[in-house]
Amino acid sequence: MTTPLELVRKKRTEAVGRIVSKGYLASARVYVGMATCEIAAGSKDVMAVFQKAMDEGLANVYLSQKGCAGRCNLEPTVEVIMTGKNPVKYGKVTPRRAEAIIERHIKNGQVIDEWVID
Amino acid sequence: MAAKYVITLCDGTKCINNGAHRVRAALDEQLRAHGLTDQVRINLSGCLGMCEKGPIMVVNPGYVIYGGLDESDVERIVTEHLVGGKLIGDLEVEQDHLYNRFYRIFGDVGFFGKQMRIALRNCGIINPENIDDYLSLRGYEALGKALTEMSPADIVAEVQRSGLRGRGGAGFPTGLKWKLTAAEKATPKYVICNADEGDPGAFMDRSAIEGDPHTVVEGMALGAYAVGAERGVVYIRAEYPLAIKRITKAIEDARAHGFLGERILGSDFNFDIEIRLGAGAFVCGEETALIHSIEGARGMPRPRPPYPSVQGLFGKPTLINNVETWANIPVIIMDGATWFSTVGTETSKGTKVFALAGKVVNTGLVEVPMGTTLREIIYDIGGGLPGGRKFKAVQTGGPSGGCLPERCLDTPIDYESLAKAGSIMGSGGMIVIDEDSCMVDIARFFLEFTQNESCGKCTPCREGTKRMLEILTRITEGKGRAGDIEKLQRLGETIKKASLCGLGQSAPNPVLSTIENFREEYEEHIEQGKCRAGACKALIRFEILQMCKGCGVCRKVCPVGAITGQAKHLHVIDQDKCVRCGLCFEKCKFDAIVKV
Repeated sequence: MTTPLELVRKKRTEAVGRIVSKGYLASARVYVGMATCEIAAGSKDVMAVFQKAMDEGLANVYLSQKGCAGRCNLEPTVEVIMTGKNPVKYGKVTPRRAEAIIERHIKNGQVIDEWVID
Repeated sequence: MAAKYVITLCDGTKCINNGAHRVRAALDEQLRAHGLTDQVRINLSGCLGMCEKGPIMVVNPGYVIYGGLDESDVERIVTEHLVGGKLIGDLEVEQDHLYNRFYRIFGDVGFFGKQMRIALRNCGIINPENIDDYLSLRGYEALGKALTEMSPADIVAEVQRSGLRGRGGAGFPTGLKWKLTAAEKATPKYVICNADEGDPGAFMDRSAIEGDPHTVVEGMALGAYAVGAERGVVYIRAEYPLAIKRITKAIEDARAHGFLGERILGSDFNFDIEIRLGAGAFVCGEETALIHSIEGARGMPRPRPPYPSVQGLFGKPTLINNVETWANIPVIIMDGATWFSTVGTETSKGTKVFALAGKVVNTGLVEVPMGTTLREIIYDIGGGLPGGRKFKAVQTGGPSGGCLPERCLDTPIDYESLAKAGSIMGSGGMIVIDEDSCMVDIARFFLEFTQNESCGKCTPCREGTKRMLEILTRITEGKGRAGDIEKLQRLGETIKKASLCGLGQSAPNPVLSTIENFREEYEEHIEQGKCRAGACKALIRFEILQMCKGCGVCRKVCPVGAITGQAKHLHVIDQDKCVRCGLCFEKCKFDAIVKV
């Protein structure tokens, strides 16, 4: 008989499979902070920019929301994780900055240092 | 399809010095040799904080951490782990702990470097609305482990051994509470999650639920299993709509996966959770008032004992814990009490979440091991005060806490040391105060809050806070009298002793602690009618100096038309009309307006 622990581990493997099948291994993963505080700071508009870009054909990107990591004064935050590169976390991201992040960072691999939280 | 992996290599200086780049090259080569390049994704991370064991490699899924690597180890990792699916025990550097100190919150080391995230381990990392994200990080594994290997008594013993104490503020030993509830014979029993966060400026519980709702669900299920309850309630403020949405979805998803409901994971354990919304009364954070509110009665406390562990919801044994307390439980079950109790101080184990706010560069949510000093939180994590302002005090514990002066900055944070210094841990509000704030005014602000929120049931709290507020208000208006300080102290001590619940028992703390630590400010207000911070409006005046150029900016910004004067001539402020908003003072380009 399957024990509860084995069952949970099986579910974990399935969950990882589902995440992977949704494109987790894309060359860029983008996380947009979407807690109440981040949304109040404007992250819904930022998310919309990324979503629109993907709808319009931006490929090989895994887009996800995340909760608040605690960086209140720098919200909205966006994390970009590119294969083989150091992950980058941007602060105070506006829709215009989001567009620039797509064009310069995601498409051309150029980190926009001045907006990076370090 | 072959298994797919994400490998994170530490790219910190020390790992590089120890050969991280050679490991990277070997890994690339091995992946190519095995034709795995497309199936393994490589990330680099900033320092993972395990320098002494570098070079470090983290293999996901699974959070397997390998360390002390050289090129020859890489081949084993690729053939045995990536291809063969077997972990390589002798290369693993650490147990696969649930907590993550840096994991995936890469970079931003200044802010996260001194933090240790247990309760918030997944916040800002996973998608809180996707149960798969939680599952992929070993979510619900603690529940599976408990139902497979542990008896309810084992769980209680484990929580007791961990030394975890209630994170809602009072710090009651969690394990003891569980033991008392488990020992009760009456049924049915209940578990409750207290998410009625009410301190002004505090948002720990909201962020925890919004960032990782499943950990609360899992913690509650473990608690229910331990004490023998089949029903749980999350009591959450109606003013947290996103948190409500996410915890509701989490409960539904958990039910769909068989983590809640009947015969959980094929065991004999049944448990389900419902949500009750609070209308936002501060007193409903007090456990007996909260229980009354769930029952549909007016949210008022009652004398204890009997404690909720004996007579709680609907008169039945009830286990009630705060959000942050619940969020710690899965970690304790997964990683063990022995490990958990290595974190923290002698009397306070684990970590504490704080909402850092006020005059500090990095405002935000921080989680630090107990024993971290206030100075480390404010200066190392918080980045100090902006613009080189001078530190005056730090307020901890919200309206139930106190203000600590500079000499207390090196206090290591735990329940006892904060109490000894004259404040409390509280639920985790932490407000940094600079020289521009008046301590009397701050005490008045907090007392006004508790006075408003007093439920009115007991006289000391209802009448006492009202009288204290009257005295404080008159002091800030420059009408203080000799003996007021002593009167405040006497009233405060009485209210603390005689009030029915925690609200009244702690309400005088902001006043008493500011009198203790900043008595001279009270004396100046009363004796000289002076507010050194210039914050008490009745005690300040704005005046325009002779050097006024007559530019007219002040006249234009004044919202009440109190400033008159012709262009290029000296302007004057009509003190009777002036509301002391300070706009003219801020806008004057010539520093010709002074605050006296």
